[in-house]
Amino acid sequence: MARQTPFTQPVTDSVAKVNREVAVGEDLGFQRSWWRFERGVWGFFVLVLLLDIAGAFGRGPLAHAEIRSPDKSLDIHYERIERSGTPSIMTIELGAQTVRDGAARVFVSQNVIDSLGTRRVIPAPSSTVIGRGGLTYTFPASTAPASVQLEFEPAGAGIVPFEISVPGVSTLRGKIVVMP
Amino acid sequence: MSTIVCAIIGYLVLLLTVRVLARRPGGQLTLFEFVIIFLIGGVAIAATVRQDHSMTNCGMGILAVAFMHRLVSGLKDRFPRFAAIVDGTPLVLLKNGEWQLEPMRQMRIDPEDVMAAARAKRVGSIFDVKYAILERNGSISIITHER
Repeated sequence: MARQTPFTQPVTDSVAKVNREVAVGEDLGFQRSWWRFERGVWGFFVLVLLLDIAGAFGRGPLAHAEIRSPDKSLDIHYERIERSGTPSIMTIELGAQTVRDGAARVFVSQNVIDSLGTRRVIPAPSSTVIGRGGLTYTFPASTAPASVQLEFEPAGAGIVPFEISVPGVSTLRGKIVVMP
Repeated sequence: MSTIVCAIIGYLVLLLTVRVLARRPGGQLTLFEFVIIFLIGGVAIAATVRQDHSMTNCGMGILAVAFMHRLVSGLKDRFPRFAAIVDGTPLVLLKNGEWQLEPMRQMRIDPEDVMAAARAKRVGSIFDVKYAILERNGSISIITHER
């Protein structure tokens, strides 16, 4: 048989009193501990705000990154810290050796498309070839330097390794942290 | 799924944020109640402005916040220490003609705030006040000397 909660209960004087006359329930010991904790929390909040201004959570100076191949044929500007659901741009600058026969080819690994949520490629490639664990875009080009932009909008948080290369010329690898 | 997780995390973050904001005299709602008001509104907006604009998504967010509110209420009821963490405890600001400086400084309360509470109780002089108590909801209770 289930235990029933009593419908009534005698009144007891359980609240701590001040000067034995006013029932307040004050607990100064607890409050002092809480005030110390509060100061710690505010310190943490200030730290978080400063880190955010610096870009530690994306969209700030610390988030900007650049990787460049030793022969300067490939130079990538990107955000090393992205935010989920927030658009960003990766700029791929192509050096002199990358344009051949009026075209430049750029390979991007599949997780650039999937995990980083590539929305747009600017300019639009004349052709796209799948294979080697990614996509190879071909762009009509006259002479270097030239640049290609990828617009991202990651759907979820995580660490996303990527690889971008100009086939036969140079390859660059990096990682992007996507914040929730 | 992500909406529910975000709503729960948002609830806890907002609860902490509002809790570490000092109680202000004259408050009508407990900080605990502010959380539910802000967060349901916030989740509703988030569900509206993010990619999933569906009623399902919005409803899940509200249900998650309501569940957290119920859970925290239950824990407050069951564990007095948890209630003290969430809502704080009353603090005596004035006792037998002496200001209690530590709680007043920590809670950023001036004698003028206590006097305003006394006036609201039709007490015209601070010398008539025997006890002034900052309640958990931010209001100040006034107890006068017996005549």
